Amino acid sequence: MYLPQLLSFLQAYGYPMLWLTTFIAALGAPLPITLLLLAAGAFSAAGDFNIVVLAVVALSASVTGDSVGYWIGRLWGSQLLEWMAETRLGKQVMSPETLARSREYFQRRGGIAIFLTRSLISALGSVTNVVAGSELYPYRLFLLYDVLGEALGAILPLGLGYIAGASWEALGDIFSAVAFFALGAVCVIYLGYRLLWRSAEGARLIGAERIAPGGLTSLDGEAEGLVGVESEVGVAPRLDDVARWRRSGGPGAPGDRPEQQRDI
Amino acid sequence: LLGLALGLTLAAGVQLALAIGQFQQAQRQAQAGDVRAIQPWMTIPYIARTYRVPESYLLQRLHISSGQSVSHVTLTTLAARQHIATSALIREIQAAILSYRQEHATPTPQSALPLYNAPLLGRAVV
Repeated sequence: MYLPQLLSFLQAYGYPMLWLTTFIAALGAPLPITLLLLAAGAFSAAGDFNIVVLAVVALSASVTGDSVGYWIGRLWGSQLLEWMAETRLGKQVMSPETLARSREYFQRRGGIAIFLTRSLISALGSVTNVVAGSELYPYRLFLLYDVLGEALGAILPLGLGYIAGASWEALGDIFSAVAFFALGAVCVIYLGYRLLWRSAEGARLIGAERIAPGGLTSLDGEAEGLVGVESEVGVAPRLDDVARWRRSGGPGAPGDRPEQQRDI
Repeated sequence: LLGLALGLTLAAGVQLALAIGQFQQAQRQAQAGDVRAIQPWMTIPYIARTYRVPESYLLQRLHISSGQSVSHVTLTTLAARQHIATSALIREIQAAILSYRQEHATPTPQSALPLYNAPLLGRAVV
């Protein structure tokens, strides 16, 4: 949208303009920074800029912008999360358990998220910076993954623009398509994995029921997983049957087992 | 959800294939020096280098006196300065490049003739 203007500014003001634009984009402004870097690479191939200086400028601006986003999250985002954990209104928005779980999850998997949102799914980069700060992810680790990701995310378009020259615009379309494809592929892999995992879990529970046909005694807490599942041993108990059975004394109480279980 | 994600991924894959095709076409155009590949983001020095036309020739055709003043100016900005449409400026530059090529067209050298003509020439000399 702003690309023609940005390119005119890039030609007119050179490196400072590239630094400023990249920095603002890293903070979350919707600017076509990949296209600008591709164009800068193409201009450098024609001798207008030095490719090494461009790489240093782009990398330093991206990392600085990302760090500002991180510290905004660390200073204000973490306070917001604390408020949510402590106040009644905040707890209604998000429970403390969910908050603790998300924090623990980000501590474990945050590195890969930071790296991927710099290089492959750059649209989510600025949000990830703030989330990383809010979740109190260690800054040194953040910086490490950030520099690695930005090295790929900033230097790759510059280099490819340098190689493609006048065709950099068409290369920009490839970049967008790759980003969409990668996002879709990540969703497919995640959903497919969840589906397979659930199927495997269901099969495991049915297998356990086959091994121990004594009923719910042997499953010990996994009976909920069988609700609505039909197996060779009969129809699995409904959840309310299980609850009634447990209330009435649980395993070993003759006559108290649900109807379906008596058929086994 | 999985079906939706699969559909979107397939659509993105098709888009990727199309984008690769367009890129290859753009590369071919650029390598062949096709003047249709001139874009609003280009500058006069950039066009001069890419299309191997002297910058002074282009400036003369565009009635620009000082090359220094347009060395870092895109065609979009230049057209705005001259109060004309960018497409009109691009057409002017395309015409200038084509006329330069016509003016400086070099005849095909003998050595560049297909190899099968060589024996005939040799016999004629003998």
